[in-house]
Amino acid sequence: MKKGDVTEKTLSRRGFLKTAGGAAAVAGFAAGGLGFPSQAQAGPDALPKKWDETCDVLVVGSGFAGLAAAIEAKEAGASVMVLEKMPTHGGNSIINGGVMAVVGSDMQEARGIKDSPDLMLADMMKAGLDMNYPELAKMVAYQSKDAYDWCKQHIGVKFTDPKMLLHMGGHTVARSCPTSIYSGSEIVNKELAKFKELGGTVTTRTYLEKLIRHANGRVVGAQIRTGYRFPDAGSGKVKFVKVKKGVVLASGGFSQDVAFRMTQAPNLVAEVNSTNQPGATAEVLKEAFRVGGNPVQVSWIQLGPWASPDEKGFGLAPHFATGPVFSYGIMVDPKTGKRFISELADRKIRADAIIRTGHAAIGISDDEGQKSCGGPPGTVGKLVERGVVKKFDTLEELSKAHDMPYAAVKESVDNYNSYLKTGTDKEFGRYLQPDAKPIEKAPFYAVRLWPKVHHTMGGVQINTSAQVIGLDGKPIEGLYAAGEVAGGVHGAVRLGSVAVVDCLVFGRIAGKSVAKMKAWS
Amino acid sequence: MEHRRKKILKAAFTLSCAFLLIVLGSGLWAAPKLIQSAKGGNCAACHTDQPALSQSHPDTKDMNLEACRACHTRENMDLTGKLPASHMHLLGGVSCEACHGKTNKPEETPMEKCVACHGPTAKLAEKTKDVKPTNPHTSPHYGTELDCNLCHHQHKKSENYCAQCHSFDFKTP
Repeated sequence: MKKGDVTEKTLSRRGFLKTAGGAAAVAGFAAGGLGFPSQAQAGPDALPKKWDETCDVLVVGSGFAGLAAAIEAKEAGASVMVLEKMPTHGGNSIINGGVMAVVGSDMQEARGIKDSPDLMLADMMKAGLDMNYPELAKMVAYQSKDAYDWCKQHIGVKFTDPKMLLHMGGHTVARSCPTSIYSGSEIVNKELAKFKELGGTVTTRTYLEKLIRHANGRVVGAQIRTGYRFPDAGSGKVKFVKVKKGVVLASGGFSQDVAFRMTQAPNLVAEVNSTNQPGATAEVLKEAFRVGGNPVQVSWIQLGPWASPDEKGFGLAPHFATGPVFSYGIMVDPKTGKRFISELADRKIRADAIIRTGHAAIGISDDEGQKSCGGPPGTVGKLVERGVVKKFDTLEELSKAHDMPYAAVKESVDNYNSYLKTGTDKEFGRYLQPDAKPIEKAPFYAVRLWPKVHHTMGGVQINTSAQVIGLDGKPIEGLYAAGEVAGGVHGAVRLGSVAVVDCLVFGRIAGKSVAKMKAWS
Repeated sequence: MEHRRKKILKAAFTLSCAFLLIVLGSGLWAAPKLIQSAKGGNCAACHTDQPALSQSHPDTKDMNLEACRACHTRENMDLTGKLPASHMHLLGGVSCEACHGKTNKPEETPMEKCVACHGPTAKLAEKTKDVKPTNPHTSPHYGTELDCNLCHHQHKKSENYCAQCHSFDFKTP
C-alpha cells in the first residue's frame, strides 16, 4: 500500500464525518471505544495536547498495597494521587479476613513458637510448586516482621491476643496474626487515616483507562475517568494526568472478571462463585500487558477450600472452617463418611480434592473445637443463626441431616481421636494441634464446604524494587506494581495470610522506589 | 466526484435518521421531567405521560408526608422503599434546592449535606442497632462512614449495598 492511499482514505473518512454532522458521531466513537485502538500497536502512545493534572506519583488502587505505596511515597516527599474506581476505598483488602503471616511476631514469641524467614520461604515455595520467583518470595518472608512492626507502630494496627495466633494450611508453624477485628479493614482504614494525616486523599470513582508510555519507553502519565460509575466503561469524564516520577499499579486481582478469568482458566465459569468484591476485574492488568509488561503465571487461580455455598462471598464460614474444622475437627466426604485429604494441606490440594468428590464436603467439629473459631465476636452464633453452620446433639443426627453413613462418620471421628493420643495422623499425616481435644463433646457442629475463586497468583512481572518488567526483560521506566496485580511471589499456590504481608511489603517497596525516581519535565 | 458527493449525502441522511430515531426513542422512554417548583403531592406536575398512582388513590395534590402517613403506616401499606427518597424529601418539605442549591445544572449531593440535617452517623447507627440481621449503619469495613448515597438513592430505587457480598435482607428507604 502506498502512503498516499492511507492519507486519502483518512481524509475522506474525516470529511464524511464532518458532513454528517459528525461531532456526535466522533464523540460516540471515542466514548464507545469501538475497539480499534492503540491496543493493537506496540509502539508509543500519543501524548495528550494538554495535561489536566500533574503529580509525582500516581497510585492505582486503594487497598493494602496501594495505600502502603502512597504513604511511603508521600513520606519521601513526593506528591501522590490515589485512584479508586469503586465508590468506596479499600478494594478487596477492606473485606479481607485480616490475617497476616509474620515470622518472629510478639504473638509467636508469647506462644514460644520457633520460626525463621527461611522456614516461611520454604513453606511458600513448597505450596508454590517452586514456581515462585525466589527473590520475590524471599522479600516477603524476610520483611514480614518489618511490615508487621510498621502496622503496629507506625500506623497503629491492633492485633488479637497471642492465644488467637492461627496455624493455617501449608504453614509449618502457627504464624498467622489476626487483626483485632478479624478484618483487613483494621489495616486499610488505619493506612488511609495515616495517608490523610500526611495530607493525601483517595479519589474514589476514578478509573484508569490508559497508561501513556512515551516514545522513550517511560510511562509518563495516564488517561483517567473521574466520576466513573462501575461497571459502565464509558461513564465519567476523561482527564489526563501527567505523572513525573511513576505509576504504581496496585489494582488487585481479577477473581470477579469472569470473561478474562475464563481466558486463563476456562473451567472457572460464571457459576463458580468468588469471595471477592465486584471490582476485582482485570482491566489494569491488561493495560500493564498492553504497554509491554511481561505476563507471569496468569492462569494460576486459587479457590478457597473453606468457603460455604450457603452464604455469599467470603462470608463467615472460613473462620469456622479454619479453626474448628481444619485445626480441631475433621472434614469428610458425605458420600463415604470418610476423610479424604489432610485438612491442613495447602489451598489448592484441598480445593481440588473437594471438587474431585463432585459435591460439598462436610466439616465437623464439637463444643471444644468451636471455641477456636476466629472472626468477629459471636461468629459461631451468627453462623448457626444463618443456617451456614448447623448444630446437633449427637453425631448420629449430624450424619443423618447430611445424608452420611453414620457408622463411617463415627469411625472417622474415632480414628482422629485415636491419632490425637499417639500424635500421628496415620491416614494423611496432618499436623495435630498439641492442645486439641478428642471430638466427643456435644453439641456437634457441621458446615458444608465448596470452593470459591479467591486469589489470582499470576500478574505482571516485577523485580525486587517493584518495577514492572517488560517483555524485553528490562524494567519499564516509570511503572511499578505491587500486590495481587503482580505475579511471581506465590507461584502456583498462595498460602493463607501471605497476601496481606505480600501487599504491605511490596506496596512499601514500590512507594519507596518510585519516590526515588528522577522526575521528568 | 458527483457520485461521491451523492454517496456521502446518502450516508449522512441515513445517519441523521438513525440519530433522530435515537433522540425520539429516548424521549419516549424518558423519566418524568423534574419540575423543581412542583409540590411533593402534585404527581401530575412531573408525571405527565402516565399517572403515578392508581385512579382509586385519593387526590394527593395538597398532601404532605404527614398526610400520607395517615394511611401509610409502618404496619399497613408501608411506604418504605416504595417511593424514591427524593419524593419523601419533597413531601416532607425539603425542596430540590435544599440539597442541590439554586442551579440549572444540579450536581451530585455529597454526604455532608445528608448529615447536616439528619445528624451524625454515629447517632444513626445507635438508633438502628437492633435492626436484624445486623445494624445497617455500621460495619467492620467502613465503620459508620459509608456514604449514605450508596444505598439511599434519591432519583432511582434505593439499593442494599451490603448485598454485593452479604445476604442481609434490608428494606432500604
